[in-house]
Amino acid sequence: MTATSEPAAAESVRTLTLREIGPAERGTRPDEVVIALSPAFGDPFTKTIVDVPHAEVIRQLLAGIEERGGSARVIKVYRTADLAAIAHFGAKISGSGIAVGVLSRGTTVLHQRDLARLSNLELFPQAPLLDAEVFRMIGANAAQYAQGQSPKPVPTRNDQMARPRWQAKAALLHLKEFDCIDHSRNAVEVEPVITRVD
Amino acid sequence: MDLVIGVDIGNSTTEACIAEVGDGQETERSGARPSRQVHRLASSLTATTGVKGTPANTAGAATAVRRALSAAGRPADALATVLLNEATPVISGLAMETITETIITESTMIGHNPDTPGGEGLGVGTTVSLEEVGDVEAGTPVVVVVGGGADFDDVAHLLNRAFERGVDVVAAVMHGDDAVLVVNRLQRRIPVVDEVAAVDRVPLGMLAAVEVAPPGRTIRTLSDSYGLASTFDLDAEQTRQVSPVARALSGNRSAVVVRTPAGDVTDRRIPVGTLTLSGSGRSLDVGVDGGADAIMEAIGRVAPLTDVHGEAGTHVGGMLANVRDTMTDVTGQPASEIRIRDVLAVDTLVPATVRGGLAGEVSKENAVALAAMVRTSRSRMQAVAEALSDELGCETIIGGVEGEVAVRGALTTPGSAVPIAIIDMGGGSTDAALLDRDGAVSAVHVAGAGELVTKLIDSELGLEDREAAESVKRHPLAKVESFFHVRHEDGTVQFFTEPLPPHVFAKVVTVTPEGLAAVPVRGALEEVRRVRREAKRRVFVVNALRALAQVAPQGSLRLLGSVVLLGGSALDFEIPGMVADALAPYGVVCGIGNVHGTEGPRGAVAAGLVDAHAGTAAGPASQGIERQAAS
Repeated sequence: MTATSEPAAAESVRTLTLREIGPAERGTRPDEVVIALSPAFGDPFTKTIVDVPHAEVIRQLLAGIEERGGSARVIKVYRTADLAAIAHFGAKISGSGIAVGVLSRGTTVLHQRDLARLSNLELFPQAPLLDAEVFRMIGANAAQYAQGQSPKPVPTRNDQMARPRWQAKAALLHLKEFDCIDHSRNAVEVEPVITRVD
Repeated sequence: MDLVIGVDIGNSTTEACIAEVGDGQETERSGARPSRQVHRLASSLTATTGVKGTPANTAGAATAVRRALSAAGRPADALATVLLNEATPVISGLAMETITETIITESTMIGHNPDTPGGEGLGVGTTVSLEEVGDVEAGTPVVVVVGGGADFDDVAHLLNRAFERGVDVVAAVMHGDDAVLVVNRLQRRIPVVDEVAAVDRVPLGMLAAVEVAPPGRTIRTLSDSYGLASTFDLDAEQTRQVSPVARALSGNRSAVVVRTPAGDVTDRRIPVGTLTLSGSGRSLDVGVDGGADAIMEAIGRVAPLTDVHGEAGTHVGGMLANVRDTMTDVTGQPASEIRIRDVLAVDTLVPATVRGGLAGEVSKENAVALAAMVRTSRSRMQAVAEALSDELGCETIIGGVEGEVAVRGALTTPGSAVPIAIIDMGGGSTDAALLDRDGAVSAVHVAGAGELVTKLIDSELGLEDREAAESVKRHPLAKVESFFHVRHEDGTVQFFTEPLPPHVFAKVVTVTPEGLAAVPVRGALEEVRRVRREAKRRVFVVNALRALAQVAPQGSLRLLGSVVLLGGSALDFEIPGMVADALAPYGVVCGIGNVHGTEGPRGAVAAGLVDAHAGTAAGPASQGIERQAAS
């Protein structure tokens, strides 16, 4: 392993286990960011639409928050696969009112509890363009919003071809995610356990 | 009853004041009564078209007249007379020259301020790359240089292994934004500076020092000449050489200094040409890189200024030539006959990227902003008057010297009295006029006003957005603290019942009548406020004092009775207060003009034109002024 090579994620594999630690409750820390995950995140899905491992998504979001001195909680929502609803639910139980909502295929949004559900702070609608680096920046911005700072929005990439190229796959992934919705199950707080398999 | 309209064509706005002037003119002319009754109906405001005092003004003037007519609810054919001011073209120009630059040679120093450096303290050791840290002998103090693409988990793992082998890793310098992450995973807390974009250019095998201060503090050792001397064991001569490094690093939360054989940081003055000032029978050369004080002092020595030339190929020279060319185009006078009558130089700071920097360091470099003004007596108002007559189908009279009419308008401010001075703070120039007890009016125009303030705000905050700078200039600031409340710049909190739009969340904003507008800066609200107030002070306060000193009896501000502030900038939320504060020590009554007790600081000239028309029909102007003063 050398310093100038590609990120370790590309070589050694990390796996993600979301260990349930109880019902998702309202947080009290004023600087905390809630990462709200969709029903299929981590299990049964393990990677985004462009094969970024879910372990890496969570690891980079948490790293971004940690680098900026913030704290984070991770929750998993089962009742809906609607990103806005997932993120807004997270924001409402976040101590700072800031949440990051992530779908299994990678689509991400930064939300705040006082916003209307379909509004947002920053939206990253094109999942195929989100890589580890972007997730790091999203985490860093979430932590800064939680601390009352005004970060520069993460530069959103745009690819005209993303829609025609990925739409079919995205639709299939959404259907699969939809199948994982469990209306009888409340959101739970989870502890992300990232293990490295060398 | 005649329907009369006074139109004042200014540098940036054209103002009109419509009034009914009572009774038949014939009996008035005979002198049966001292003046006619003036019944003001309405006023209007529009942007000036073209350069003031040129035929292009006709369109704007016609618009102002029509707006005033419709505001007064009168048909266009009822209009008897249009009164125009004797507007003379004033052209002003702005230029900025950066006069210092910081250059780092041999990559001796990293002085940028990453948001989140890791650890704290000072570490001194030999630079070694992360790949080679495994080969370092135990006990050697090293500063590890981490290249791009390294994952924080792996870096922490490798450094911990080095610790276990007994290698004395004292600090690290990284490419990515990973410092806190790495430090959190280390067995020992060491200072780590991150976000160094050109980390591959850090010289390896050299003695280096890394310092990180606790949050909210600044570094103490590397920003001090003797601190550097102790760290690198320097003698007196070497200490003298590194003192620019220390200076360049002061105020930072983190820094890296590498000791290389010939490395240096220089703070160089850029030669940006000279200004040739002529006046009182002599001419004087002054270097622009001498700064604003030197330039203003030289202008004082040749006062009254008759002309200024700049060196060709410099921004200032180009600006002065441009001002001359514009005036030539406008008046048809040859450029050789056009004289620059006033220059205002202001020191400013502009953020600039440091040459030779490894992390995109930005240093605040000194710059000089110059405003110049040229004026001509050759007015082309006759052409405007003729065009306006044709368009509106009524009589058009050019009447009244600007300063005199403005004073007459200002005197209608309740509580004002002769002797009276006015300061008209506009966009391109600041004008002052004085009416003394004998009825004599003296007036001056000095360069520098609202436009220069906007430019200073724009460059000092590094906005590169004129609209945003204009908004910062015009409106108070606030910080959006949640979707339902903002904290204003004076500390008061305002709550909202409807959530604020997401794009202003957590931002520094300007509070405009249209709502909140985000200011694209990363700095704190206090910093933006300081820049704004400082820019206004250096232009408006300095110019108000400068202009008043030129019209005041014997140049003494104490002999001025009262000062009335006019013009668009007198509507500003803080400029009048700043000017009044500056004039307070001279025992001067200073306040915002309120023409006719209702119109505020705008429209003084337009109202003055109508009053002069009604008054001069009966007697000389000075009588009219005294009458106004007494009323």
